[in-house]
Amino acid sequence: MRSVTEADVGGAAAHTRPPAGLAFGSLLRADTMVLLRNRVSATLSILLPIVLVVATSFGKAQSRLGGAELVIALALTIGLITSCVLGYSLSLAHDREVGVLQRLQVTPAPTWTIMTSRLIVQVVINLIASLIVVIVGAILHGLALNAGQFVLVLLVAILGAAMFLAIGQALVGLVPSASAINAIGRILFIVLLLLGILGGTGILGDVMKSIAGWSPVGALMTLFSDVLSHAAWSGQDANALLACFGYIVVFTFIGIRWFRWDTHS
Amino acid sequence: MSDASASSPPVLDVGDLRVAYGDKIAVSGISFRIERGEIFGLLGPNGAGKTSTLSAIEGLVAPKSGHSLIDGLDTVKHPLDAKARLGVQLQASSFQPELTIQQIAKLYAGLYGVRMSRDQIAESMRTIGLDAELGKRFKQLSGGQQQRLALFIATIHDPLLLLLDEPTAGLDPQSRRALWRRIEQARGAGRSILLTTHSMEEAQAVCDRVAIIDHGSLLTTGSPAELIEKHKDDPRVLEVAHGEVTLEDVFIGLTGDEIRD
Repeated sequence: MRSVTEADVGGAAAHTRPPAGLAFGSLLRADTMVLLRNRVSATLSILLPIVLVVATSFGKAQSRLGGAELVIALALTIGLITSCVLGYSLSLAHDREVGVLQRLQVTPAPTWTIMTSRLIVQVVINLIASLIVVIVGAILHGLALNAGQFVLVLLVAILGAAMFLAIGQALVGLVPSASAINAIGRILFIVLLLLGILGGTGILGDVMKSIAGWSPVGALMTLFSDVLSHAAWSGQDANALLACFGYIVVFTFIGIRWFRWDTHS
Repeated sequence: MSDASASSPPVLDVGDLRVAYGDKIAVSGISFRIERGEIFGLLGPNGAGKTSTLSAIEGLVAPKSGHSLIDGLDTVKHPLDAKARLGVQLQASSFQPELTIQQIAKLYAGLYGVRMSRDQIAESMRTIGLDAELGKRFKQLSGGQQQRLALFIATIHDPLLLLLDEPTAGLDPQSRRALWRRIEQARGAGRSILLTTHSMEEAQAVCDRVAIIDHGSLLTTGSPAELIEKHKDDPRVLEVAHGEVTLEDVFIGLTGDEIRD
């Protein structure tokens, strides 16, 4: 590389398309930095579930909520849904609105690297957050987990992150404004949680219980709690797995098909 | 122009370019060429189609028809190869607010395939007077500093063609003059530049040739002096001129004096 001079203004000559690996590495590094510096996102995805497992470790709260497995499953699910549906979608929408995505789009980096880098970093952060939550939860609630269960929890966390990221991506694809995404994301968060938790208890009736089992939160909580309780594979788990994959396929399609890189075109 | 540049393709060749957003036609079949080492200005009132033209060249919007070739490469058929030859400063350049200036430079160096060490980044920042701001974030910079950084990022890979969308908008006179010097330095380093501007002063100060566009159509092209000479007797221009005809008189005469939003 030749030295940079005042007359050059910029850097070195590179008129050929750069290797995708170099661009991808740069994006991964930058996206990791961005996510780690985003304190709101970190707080929501780690602190909120930790507060839940700590708060339910006192008195009879744990048994009232259905046992340690369900409490930890709920905490893991809340961490994922918060980070992906609220954090990821809002950050993506904001970057689109202020022109960060457009600036990246005019570089020779393939567009798939720009989006994939964000998703990979988000999934990795979610996995770390899930691991912390399950370790803290297991300690506080006296749950003995073996290595296989930890691996399964991480696999379910990947599945859950993929599902909620797909929902977040679809939200950004369908709604152009960041402030509208913020509002809709919050409503979606409450609706999904209420449907999954209240519906699942059966207090809203059998029909709602059945619907809740197929909802994103309900399906994910089923998988998490069955992994944590070391339950045998059941038809309910198969349905939950099927539901999660279904949501991933449908919302990924919507998120890609209707996604716009800027809010003006 | 040298013999070598005369035999090579123009740095930018835009032909019969049409851009539409739904039913709204933004660019209606404009054509122009930019040669090596040339600064070409695109002038037009708000909504004339300047940014849409740039967006089509940059690959941000797909043209309905026509072509734009960068160094002979079709921007639709070979978008990534074309973008590797292109440096872009968008109208509202925005970088990730969480990243420091150093991290932004590192990111964009990687995206353009340029390997730069921390020392090289620091040295580059010194040349544009931002060495004391390396640890700051983009939003913490002044308007002039943001424009200098955006221009640095646009030229980090020494592109053949620089696209600058209203590069001096919102700058104070000192920063504007400093940016003009940098644009001329970039031309001195052999780069070609396409810039859009509302400022006739800017067009006359830095552009070798300008094109006036309105309602998506190209109205006239030439050097600022040629345009004045060509249109000085046009009744529409004479009607708005106060004394000697200026480039601004030509501009207002051809595009009308109603205020555009």
